[in-house]
Amino acid sequence: MDRAGSAASPLRSQHWRNLRRLAPILTLLALLLLWQLVSAWQLLPALLLPPPADVLAAFQRAWADGSLLRHANTTIGEMSLGLLFGLSIGLALGYAIAKLPLLEYILSPMIVAFQSTPIVAYAPLLIIWFGTGPTSKVFTTAIIVFFPTLVNTIVGIRSVSPALHDLMRSLRANAWQRFRYLELPSALPVLLAGLKTSATLAVIGAVVGEFVGSGSGLGVLVIMARSQYDTPLVIVTVLTMTAIALSLYSLVVLLEWRLLAWRRRSAFG
Amino acid sequence: MYPYRALLSLLCLLFYLPAAAQAELVPERILLTFIPNIQFAPMYVGIEQGHFAEAGFDVTLEHLQEPEALDLVAISQAKYSIVSGEQVILARSRGRDVVYVFEWFQQYPIGIVYDEARALDDLAQLRGWTIGIPIRSGASYSGLTALLHSVNLTEADVVLQEIGFNAPEAFCLGAVDAAVIYANNEALHIRRLTQAGECGAIQEVAVAMVADEVDLVSNGLIVNRDTLQKDPREAAAMVQALRLALRSTIDNPAAAYLASLQHVDTLPQDEPLLQALEAAAEQQHAFLQGEPTRTAIAESRQALAQELAQQFDAATLAQFQVLLHSIELWDADELGISELASWQSMQSTLDELSLLGSDLGELENAFSNELLRAP
Repeated sequence: MDRAGSAASPLRSQHWRNLRRLAPILTLLALLLLWQLVSAWQLLPALLLPPPADVLAAFQRAWADGSLLRHANTTIGEMSLGLLFGLSIGLALGYAIAKLPLLEYILSPMIVAFQSTPIVAYAPLLIIWFGTGPTSKVFTTAIIVFFPTLVNTIVGIRSVSPALHDLMRSLRANAWQRFRYLELPSALPVLLAGLKTSATLAVIGAVVGEFVGSGSGLGVLVIMARSQYDTPLVIVTVLTMTAIALSLYSLVVLLEWRLLAWRRRSAFG
Repeated sequence: MYPYRALLSLLCLLFYLPAAAQAELVPERILLTFIPNIQFAPMYVGIEQGHFAEAGFDVTLEHLQEPEALDLVAISQAKYSIVSGEQVILARSRGRDVVYVFEWFQQYPIGIVYDEARALDDLAQLRGWTIGIPIRSGASYSGLTALLHSVNLTEADVVLQEIGFNAPEAFCLGAVDAAVIYANNEALHIRRLTQAGECGAIQEVAVAMVADEVDLVSNGLIVNRDTLQKDPREAAAMVQALRLALRSTIDNPAAAYLASLQHVDTLPQDEPLLQALEAAAEQQHAFLQGEPTRTAIAESRQALAQELAQQFDAATLAQFQVLLHSIELWDADELGISELASWQSMQSTLDELSLLGSDLGELENAFSNELLRAP
């Protein structure tokens, strides 16, 4: 009986692992089914929630005429550049602040004030200052991405154990070696957690900029679809934004998996 | 005992009567676009001067984006909204059975502002110009398309640049040669900038109005088909109340401005200005007792504008000027009537832009003047 029980246990845990992997897909399917039922039973007017088939048709239309790809490319371009600038500045400034507490006293009121103001409030100013081209959207993205990167960098660098710093000093490690072999690996989990947040916020930054004034991008496509009462196209555009954010997030998770492999190895001996 | 009881009854009656009168009013919200603004003065007049209450409504105003407002009416979450005629056609073409029952703006408010020194003899000379536009949708886009079409140009003949709602900055900084603007608001702002020498090298601007070239249906009151069929009397009462409020605003803009103070926080409220407007409102009220013609009333508005301009600076008067310019777009002999021809022009413009869905049906079903004729 015991033997049978112990044989069933790995099987059961394998079964649960498979189920856990399938959970996101099953949730998605359940939501789609619910959506289809709500549409079929007309629990909501079709003009508010069109049936999945209409949304699929709108996707095929927007894909075929190239409009979805064109607008998505614009948003991805703005978002990538904004992410690059926001991350670079956040990482550099975060490291400087972590190492020089005086800098924190000088800059933190300004940074917190800047961050606590909703970006939609000053996005129109960015449009006036930087024009309606991609620069203003890159800027809104960079701003929105900057703060989580900065905070996580400060926390990550400061969380390095003082004992390990002492060890590096005793080994006469120079500043670069301390950064490369101690601070960066130690801070990496926190930095990557910040990167995950930044990745999802980047789409918001670009789209907010597009909402305020732009000729292209998924934000513009939403406004245009809405102004033409094309609700299926609105849903297609929103889902595209979600897909971009999820892809970016997954990339960071993959990066985390690769970069933190040493931690898993050391954890499992 | 009896006198005491009589006194008590009288007191109860005194408290009860106003409450009963209040209870008879039907609470109704009207969905507006944009934000509280002097351009909605007729609504504020309707509330403050009691036009809605006399028609049996206790009106509250809410501001939403145009598509959301229209959809709420379409699904009967709200009965009334002010949207542009263009939105009615677009929405109907995608299954929203809303009906436009009162044309508020008699003239389409969109125009193109440009440097007067460039002396356009013919709008066809716009060919090759860089024209700023908020976004390639909405009233600005339709208006520009219709204007270009009227002089045999298309979008491909000009360079369109999306500038958001930043026309004054984009135009005065020279980012565009011309900009599509709301003539009753942004054009005045740009004029003030040029007069203050804050619009680059531009000394004076000119505005080419879409309404001068083509008759497009503009903003007005909508209801949905259900409301029209189930409560035609109530809808007619609302239309009549709006007509009276609009007429009151047109006839006495000083009083309309004062009524708007309760609703628009950002209106200048300098004491000297308010005193001048109160005096003007009173004087106009007396003038209206003599039943002057529409022309005479228009002249009285001009005289008031000139008189106030001598007393106050441009910034103080800016919002009052917006009201006066808006009135020029609203005024007509017969308020509220919309014509099939203007609906056809709008439909053909939207068709040209390939924006229409497949469910439009008969254009005649998109609007009705019947409620204006109701007893």
